[in-house]
Amino acid sequence: MSRRVSIRAIVAQRAALVLALVFFLAPILWLISIAYKPKRDIFSLPPKLLFTPTFSNFDDVFRYFDLARLIESSLVIALGSAALSLLIGVPCAYALARSRARWTVGVAYFFLAIRTVPQVATLIPFYLLMRDIGLLGTWWAVIMLNATLSCAFVVWMMFSYFRSLPREMEQAALTDGCSQFGAFWRIALPLVRPGIIACTLFCIMFAWNDYLIPAFLTRAETRPLSVALLSAFGMLDITWGTLGALAHFSTIPIVLMALLLNRYFVQGLTRGVH
Amino acid sequence: MGAPALVYVLIVAGWPLAQGIWYSVFDYSLLHPATRHFVGFENYRALWTDESARRSVVTTVEFTVAAVGLEFVFGMALALLLWRDGRFERICLALLLIPVTVTPVAVGLVFRALLAPEFGMIGYYAAEWGLSIPRGFLGDPNTALATIVIIDTWEWTPLMALILLAGLKALPSEMLEAAEVDGANAWQRFRVVIFPMILPAVFLGLVLRTMDAFRVFDIVFATSNGGPADATNVLMFYAVKQGLQFFNVGFAAAVANSMVVFIAIFAVILILLVRRADRSAIAT
Repeated sequence: MSRRVSIRAIVAQRAALVLALVFFLAPILWLISIAYKPKRDIFSLPPKLLFTPTFSNFDDVFRYFDLARLIESSLVIALGSAALSLLIGVPCAYALARSRARWTVGVAYFFLAIRTVPQVATLIPFYLLMRDIGLLGTWWAVIMLNATLSCAFVVWMMFSYFRSLPREMEQAALTDGCSQFGAFWRIALPLVRPGIIACTLFCIMFAWNDYLIPAFLTRAETRPLSVALLSAFGMLDITWGTLGALAHFSTIPIVLMALLLNRYFVQGLTRGVH
Repeated sequence: MGAPALVYVLIVAGWPLAQGIWYSVFDYSLLHPATRHFVGFENYRALWTDESARRSVVTTVEFTVAAVGLEFVFGMALALLLWRDGRFERICLALLLIPVTVTPVAVGLVFRALLAPEFGMIGYYAAEWGLSIPRGFLGDPNTALATIVIIDTWEWTPLMALILLAGLKALPSEMLEAAEVDGANAWQRFRVVIFPMILPAVFLGLVLRTMDAFRVFDIVFATSNGGPADATNVLMFYAVKQGLQFFNVGFAAAVANSMVVFIAIFAVILILLVRRADRSAIAT
């Protein structure tokens, strides 16, 4: 495409983008910066841009929170939800994509529809159910409910990936004596690796960032970072600096993951209709 | 191979949904479980007759329309700015998507601190410029909802921009060149050529964001907690509060089910859109 664009237009476009970057990133930079500010500088007005960095806020995080336990909870919930969703979601997507029956597309749309149900509709009855069978307060309860939404997302997204694969290679493998499962495991699965990576990223992100489900299904010993972060607000002895330091652990892993795997992240956002 | 996932979703999502429908026709409070009795559609009727419930419906609709509207306008502008396919644009896009990945309750806390009347940075400069609100933007019933709208816009505009950008990138370049050769100016090109051709992406973005905005919860919970004076008491918040704090399970289930019905309407529109996009993808 040979469109001549004037230098002035490019400068204006880039200046506008830089302005947008400032608007969208400033609050996050502020959140990160308050963790290193001494208590008296956090809310000094007009704001202090130059300050001597301190790590005392991180000391406070370790003093008031069992950080290892919080991270463990977040990790177990995020990885557990992702593993369960992929384990049952990916084979289902493959079966739907390869089946010639008319109703399979309908089933795929059913999963897309499940993805849109507001969590509160399932959360209240699920809460009572977990209470009755004694799983309330465990990681299992959170993982199970998270996995319904995530697994629906995985089925829908992987369905579109598997459908765009040509059948010929799998058919060749089948005539060579490969089993149906072998064709899935050795031929189809390696070809949709980008989709698998994107799905894993999203399952982990949903579960790690979610507040509502773990807030009501966990107890003090099993709560993840997101829940601890909000409940810390307003507690005696907890300053904004401490909150900023704690927020480091809840936000930075996911932000970094999304930046490093940006290609897959963008694919997931545009293709998965999440 | 599809059976495990289907069975799992039917049990773990389907069973609670069915239970929710069952609960919603009872006057059922966990605090007085013995007095549970059948009331038919009374809980649903209360959504319209009860003052606070009706107000919550109105607040949710206002929030959704305002937030999605703003996100669309800013998202469109951002998408057009990011359209040129260069290194600079790609890096900008990656960085602009960061708000989407930040824990929503952390977002709520950040804005709560920035907007605080006595010590927040935004609150401070607003007062310097003569825009002084004694209880802060989140503390005043007149500005609280608008403030939540802006926080939501901050968080989700990048996603809207990305969806629209995907639409822009799929446009055939010959068409745009033809319009340019014909001497159409930038606004005419956008209005007559570009916008009509990315309509599927526009609808997709609007429907997706409407469904999500309608069930907003985390940022409300972390900033205004439904207040002040119920000014930000959106439906999702209302249902959670009724069900899991006041333990009015029957009524909460009715609120939640009404939300399911409303979102289902949008889900059907979404599915029709996706199917149409599928068909045109096969046709080309």
